[in-house]
Formats: sequence, C-alpha cells, structure tokens
Amino acid sequence: MPLNIDFVQILLHMLNFVILAGGLSLILFKPVQKFMRERKERFEKQALENRAAAEENARLKAEYEQKLADAEVEIQNMKLEKEQEAADAAKEYLDAAKEKAEKMILDAEKEAEERKDHILESAQTEIGELVVEATQRLLNESRDEKTSQALYDEFIRVAGEQ
Amino acid sequence: MKEKMTKGKKIFLAVWIALIAVIIALIFIIGLPPGETESIKEVMKDGVLHDLNKMNFFGIRVNPAVISAYIVTAALLLAAVLIRVFAVPRFKDVPGKFQCVIEKLVEFFDDMAKNNSPHKTGFIGAYIFSAGVYIFFSTVFELFGVQWMTDAGHSMSLPAPLADINAAIAMGFTTFGMILISGIVANGPKGGLKVMKDFSLPISMSFRLFGALLSGLLVTELVYYSVKLSFVLPVVVGVLFTLLHAIIQTYVLATLASVFYGEAVEPPKKKNRKKKGKES
Repeated sequence: MPLNIDFVQILLHMLNFVILAGGLSLILFKPVQKFMRERKERFEKQALENRAAAEENARLKAEYEQKLADAEVEIQNMKLEKEQEAADAAKEYLDAAKEKAEKMILDAEKEAEERKDHILESAQTEIGELVVEATQRLLNESRDEKTSQALYDEFIRVAGEQ
Repeated sequence: MKEKMTKGKKIFLAVWIALIAVIIALIFIIGLPPGETESIKEVMKDGVLHDLNKMNFFGIRVNPAVISAYIVTAALLLAAVLIRVFAVPRFKDVPGKFQCVIEKLVEFFDDMAKNNSPHKTGFIGAYIFSAGVYIFFSTVFELFGVQWMTDAGHSMSLPAPLADINAAIAMGFTTFGMILISGIVANGPKGGLKVMKDFSLPISMSFRLFGALLSGLLVTELVYYSVKLSFVLPVVVGVLFTLLHAIIQTYVLATLASVFYGEAVEPPKKKNRKKKGKES
C-alpha cells in the first residue's frame, strides 16, 4: 500500500483506542463527572436552603419588628391610660380633699357661730346680771320703785333690739 | 570570605565555559566524525513511512508506533485505575491541587462537548476526553525515548504513535465512525446521511493529525541528523515542537469531533411552510 498504509495496523490502532476510550470513560471520566455533578447539585440544594433560610429570617425579622412596633404602641396606650388613671385619681383625691376642706370650713363656721351664740348668750346673762346689780345699786341709791321699773323695762327693750 | 567564594565561583564558571568552547572548536577544526550511518533521505523516508524498522507484536510485524500506542494506552489505563482507586474516593468539596487538575481536565472536555453539542452530549464528552488525553500523552511519549527491540535485533527509540499514518487514519476513522453511529442513533438514517455528507472528514482529520505530528517529527529528525546542530538545539526544538503539537492537536481534534458530533445529533428542523401558508 502507498505511504505504508496497513489495514491490520489501522485496526490494531483502532482496537487500542477503543480500549483506551472505554477504559478512561468508565474508570476516570464518568466517576469524576459524577462526583462533580453531585457536588454541584449538593451546593445548589444548599444555596436554595440558604436562600429559604434567609427569606425565613427576613420574615421573622419583619414579624419581630412588627411585634416591636405593636408593643411600642401598646406601651404608649398603656402609658396614656395610666396617666389618665393617675389624673383621675388625683382629681378624685383633690375633690375629696376640697370637699373635706369645705366640710371643715363649714364645721368651723358652724362651731364659730355656736361659740358666738354661746358667748352672746353668756354675755347677755352677764350683762343682765350686771344690769341687775347696777339697778340694785341704783335702787338702793334712789329707793324709787316706779323709776326702777321704768328703767329696767327700758333696758330690756334696748337690749332686745340690739 | 563571601567575596572569595564568589570569586572562586566566577573562576570555575569561566574555566567551564572556556573548556566547552575549546571542545566545540576542536570538533569543528578537526572535522566532524562520520556520525550519519543512514543518508538523510533514508532517515526522512523512515520518519514518514516507518518501513525500515519493524517490530513484533504478538506475532504480527508492525511499525514501532503500534508498540508505542499500546504502551501509552497501558500507562494511561494504569494511571486511571490508580487515580480511581486512590484519589477519586478521597476527593473533597474544596479540591486540592491534584483534584483541581483532574477536575479541570474533565470539566474542559465536558464543557467543550456541551458547548459544541448542546442538543445531546451523550458519549462525546468522554470520547474527546480520551482522544485528547491520548493525543497529548502519545505525543509527549516521544520525549521519553523508550527503547524497544526491532525484529532486526537492534534497539530503537519508540516514536509518537500518531506520527505513523496508520495511527492517524485509525484515529480519524474511529472518530468519524463514532459520529456516524451517533447520528444514526439520534436521527435515524437521515442522521447517517447527514454525517456521510462530510465524507472527507475522516481523511482530513487523519491527515491533519498525521501532517501536524509528522512535521514536528521531521524537523526534529533533521536537527538530530546533523551533528553540528546536536548541541542544546535538539532539547529546545524537540520539547517545543512536541509539546506545542501535543496541545494544539489535542484541542483541534477534540473541537472538530465535538462540532461534527453536535451537527450529527442535532434534531432536524421542522419545515413549517405549510403552517405558515395556512396562517397567511
């Protein structure tokens, strides 16, 4: 054959290469390819899980922030409520105190009135006694029963008017 | 002390270089020894045709390239088994240097197959991986200078398998056969006909491979042939030509095989003229 082409040798080379291609494919290429594919799938799965976890974290964070905001509002409401309660209690206390004070004033006024009446009464008695005593002295000095009676009546009238 | 050592080194270097220069000069002055036992024509002819030295392969007289091919295959399969048994089970999610090399190699050919044959990848990734590894290592094999006995009884350095036209033809036709069968499997007889349209593919593939490897071989042979050029130059030329051809031919054959495979297994485009006509 020209160029030293030999069909037997071509077939020998083909056989050699077929053995090599099959061998390398089964022994090396496929196992390494399988390892790489499985690793890629595992990484992709992990990436998906990470993404899901990140989304869950974001959701939880939002939920937490919402709860925090709600709690803030609730605290504010409670604060307002308590302030109102405190204001009401203070008002109630003040009203009670005012009422008490008014009652005390009334009592004091009443007592003062009573005392005044009592003083007046005792003063009237004392004055009467004094008048009687003065009248007796005067009578003793004039010995005129008619004049004494007129003076006494006049005194009683004036005292009653006063 | 340090200066003295440096001075001593300089003197040694000067003497050594001078000695080499004197010997080279003597060689050229006295005249070259008759190193060439074969004429350059015979060397080149043997380089191209491999018809002078034959070897025995299980009782068959074959070119040295057959022996080279089987040695390369045996070495590659042994290495693959060792990697499969000892390295692959220890592969980690974060790869080390060796794992990186293996993964990168597999990924490179796998990606090439997927890019050039997006419809169906099938066996092509593994095939071009094997072809690439085989072409690269069988070309580099030449550098090791493995000695083997010829049937004439003298030893010779085994050549790169693909520098033999029979190996190149085998590679070209095997690749074509694989593409043809894949085309028939994927698209039936139509797929086979589509592949047959590129009937020149196995020939072009074979001769491209053979020509590329042979050109490197001939240049190397030419350099080796002349004693005058046998200092330093063969190392540079040999390694350069061999490695460059190994890489380039690996890439070329892998790309061509995957591209033609992709065309062969591509599903036929449906003609929708009727549909268009109805619509209009």
